[in-house]
Amino acid sequence: MPKAQSTPRDAPATNPDAVYLPGAAHDEMFAKGGFTRPHYQLLQRDIDALGAQALADRQRTLERSFLLQGITFTVYGAGSATERIIPTDLFPRIISASEWAKIEAGLVQRLKALNLFLADIYGEQRILTDGVIPRDLVLGCPAYRRQMQHLYVPHQAYANVCGSDLIRGEDGEFFVLEDNLRVPSGVSYMLANRDASRRTFPATFREARVRQVERYPDMLLSTLKSMTGDGRPNPQIVVLTPGVYNSAYYEHAYLARLMGVPLVEGRDLAVHDNRVYMRTTEGLRPVDVIYRRVDDDFIDPLSFRRDSSLGVAGLFNAYRSGTVVICNAPGTGVADDKAVYAYVPAIIRYYLSEDAILPNVKTFLCREPADLSHVLANLDSLVVKAVGASGGYGMLVGPHASAKERADFAEALKADPDNYVAQPTIQLSTAPCLADGKIEPRHVDLRPFILSGDKVVVTPGALTRVALKRGSLVVNSSQGGGSKDTWVLADDGVADQAGDGAP
Amino acid sequence: MMLARVADSLYWLGRYVERAEHISRLAGVMLNATLDRTDAADQAARIALAAVGDGAAPESVDAIGSAQALVLDRDSASSVVVSLAHARENARQVRDQITTESWERLNMLYLRATGDAAGQAYAYDAPDFLQRIIADLHLFKGASDATMSHGDGWRFMLTGVYIERAQLIARLLKAGFGGGESSALDDHMAMVSLLRMACALEPYLRVYTADMNAQFLLEFLLFDEEFPRSIRFSAARIEEHLAHLSKGRELGRADPLRLAGRLNARLAYADVEEVEEGGAGALLAAVSAECVAIHGAIFETFVAYPLEMRLPA
Repeated sequence: MPKAQSTPRDAPATNPDAVYLPGAAHDEMFAKGGFTRPHYQLLQRDIDALGAQALADRQRTLERSFLLQGITFTVYGAGSATERIIPTDLFPRIISASEWAKIEAGLVQRLKALNLFLADIYGEQRILTDGVIPRDLVLGCPAYRRQMQHLYVPHQAYANVCGSDLIRGEDGEFFVLEDNLRVPSGVSYMLANRDASRRTFPATFREARVRQVERYPDMLLSTLKSMTGDGRPNPQIVVLTPGVYNSAYYEHAYLARLMGVPLVEGRDLAVHDNRVYMRTTEGLRPVDVIYRRVDDDFIDPLSFRRDSSLGVAGLFNAYRSGTVVICNAPGTGVADDKAVYAYVPAIIRYYLSEDAILPNVKTFLCREPADLSHVLANLDSLVVKAVGASGGYGMLVGPHASAKERADFAEALKADPDNYVAQPTIQLSTAPCLADGKIEPRHVDLRPFILSGDKVVVTPGALTRVALKRGSLVVNSSQGGGSKDTWVLADDGVADQAGDGAP
Repeated sequence: MMLARVADSLYWLGRYVERAEHISRLAGVMLNATLDRTDAADQAARIALAAVGDGAAPESVDAIGSAQALVLDRDSASSVVVSLAHARENARQVRDQITTESWERLNMLYLRATGDAAGQAYAYDAPDFLQRIIADLHLFKGASDATMSHGDGWRFMLTGVYIERAQLIARLLKAGFGGGESSALDDHMAMVSLLRMACALEPYLRVYTADMNAQFLLEFLLFDEEFPRSIRFSAARIEEHLAHLSKGRELGRADPLRLAGRLNARLAYADVEEVEEGGAGALLAAVSAECVAIHGAIFETFVAYPLEMRLPA
């Protein structure tokens, strides 16, 4: 009898009609020739044993549990509002221990360097004086906040919560595609997906020795506590949300609940004599640390956007005077700007004297004339992104765009080159997903979460975002992306030896 | 100690949950009464409608259509689906303050009762649809009781439940006996229907036996100390919860606890004979007015207080 793992196969055996065709991209589960990768063999065994019907049932159970928990967004239609769940896929994406070790080291290195960069930019600006990165690119960046200049930030931890987007290229190497240092979201989906996958594949989960992500809320809490700087006892920590209509509200409430701290809105806070208070039933109570999930522009109408009703008047002055800490610090966006991104390897070298462990994707800055002409000549093979945009908006995927779309983008590029960067179109790796009862490859990325306060910690897990449309390379949830759980294995040996195909 | 906005939302959550349950029951009793083509059935339908609206009982009613509107009308301020949507919205505002067990019960009920299939389910078997809503609301209350800390948040929610309940029962009694003479309600089956609307039939029978008597009925729903849907019982709970919430506070002139104490005393020392002779109208009106005053005082004291008064020392 041929052993399961040594049999080249076209598809997981659940549905003989479905042919699993990984295509040109690197596939997370199957190596070239159809061999199941070692760290996926336990899952392969479970999928085979369950069969199509049981898998579909489990997918339904999973979706129902998301609906019940309220992990939903609201679609407003004619006269009625419908609740939709964030699409979620039942198969976990699995990362071997050795690969994770490299990712983890790379993420820690990167965030350390970016925090040093922020401390420098909002301090002496040595890196600009030394000409490593153009002055106007940094100081002209829309996310640069001059109000932050010369402000003390404990541990130089500007970005306390960071969610970086990693992708795996065709050769199987991980790249950093983007850093998110403002108000990154998705961690609640990581935790909800984990909760679900433990129930969907309990036996595999146990055997595979998956590392825990459940400590995230308390690690976040200690990170926030460490930001009081002066170590005041029992600091009052709050989560600041824009409110129930924000698409990430579920996450805000989830984190507040699991950290055991109040979830506040701007209208719950008031500033008096440079001290921030929250309105309680027993009067005003001082607040020490604000984990804010409101964008910079909206946190304080007196210092930033004057028409904001989501923030608190006087909050920034209280922050300046040191009575309250805002996490993440305002102005962190300058370090995840799409143009500054191109300089991150240089930033790492400048502050840490190390080479970047996780490489960047080759990036053309359209502000440079040479890059611009290259981009214009190769629009059909590049991905062009507007610097100021996020969430998959303002983006051209060259190979998938029409001639008209490319021509329109070329005009926009010429009109405002500073606003655009371009990168080669990378075939993101694929992972098996259940689509209409069949197992099909879908492109995925990886968003791990890194905390930095008195120390930098990477949660051993991540949100794997999935492009739900076959062939699509856009994984953003605002563009119809879904997610799946991510298993980081504690020990590669277990997976290698397990399964019925052990040598 | 809790956020003022959160206390407000929990209070309203309690009110809407109670309202949804009460209206479901009124609709159920109306539907059941339509099966008998009698005067008593008409009377029951009219009482139920009057207990919902503020106006006088309409002369002729389309009980089946009215019941459906009470349950499913999305444009009505107090229909069951609208109350459930408000309850769930308030719960979502304070999702971090209520337990997952309570939230999931309410969310599931909300999704079922307001979803696309709800109209069909109601048309297929309305009594079952209503019974399941009431049962799910009991599950929600039970889950809250069993899993939430019985601290301030829980007390704000229950204060909302009991204020809503006292007002709803007062309105129901006013609809049944409001004419001034308790003889307005004389039919045996109409009285049974009214007791059912207050979920009081079986507890009433245990005290007074199957001897239906308008005076007993009025006394039971107004003054009984043990029945959880009597106005007296509700007033006692309101005072009890407010006493906990007001610990360490000085009682101001418009303090909710003082007002609740007055309402409770009014019911405890009410002259039953007086009610027998002059009808319950005056007492019921006073109960409603005092509930409104307590509601306003809670808001002023715990939620919308002026900031400068309450800075920490």
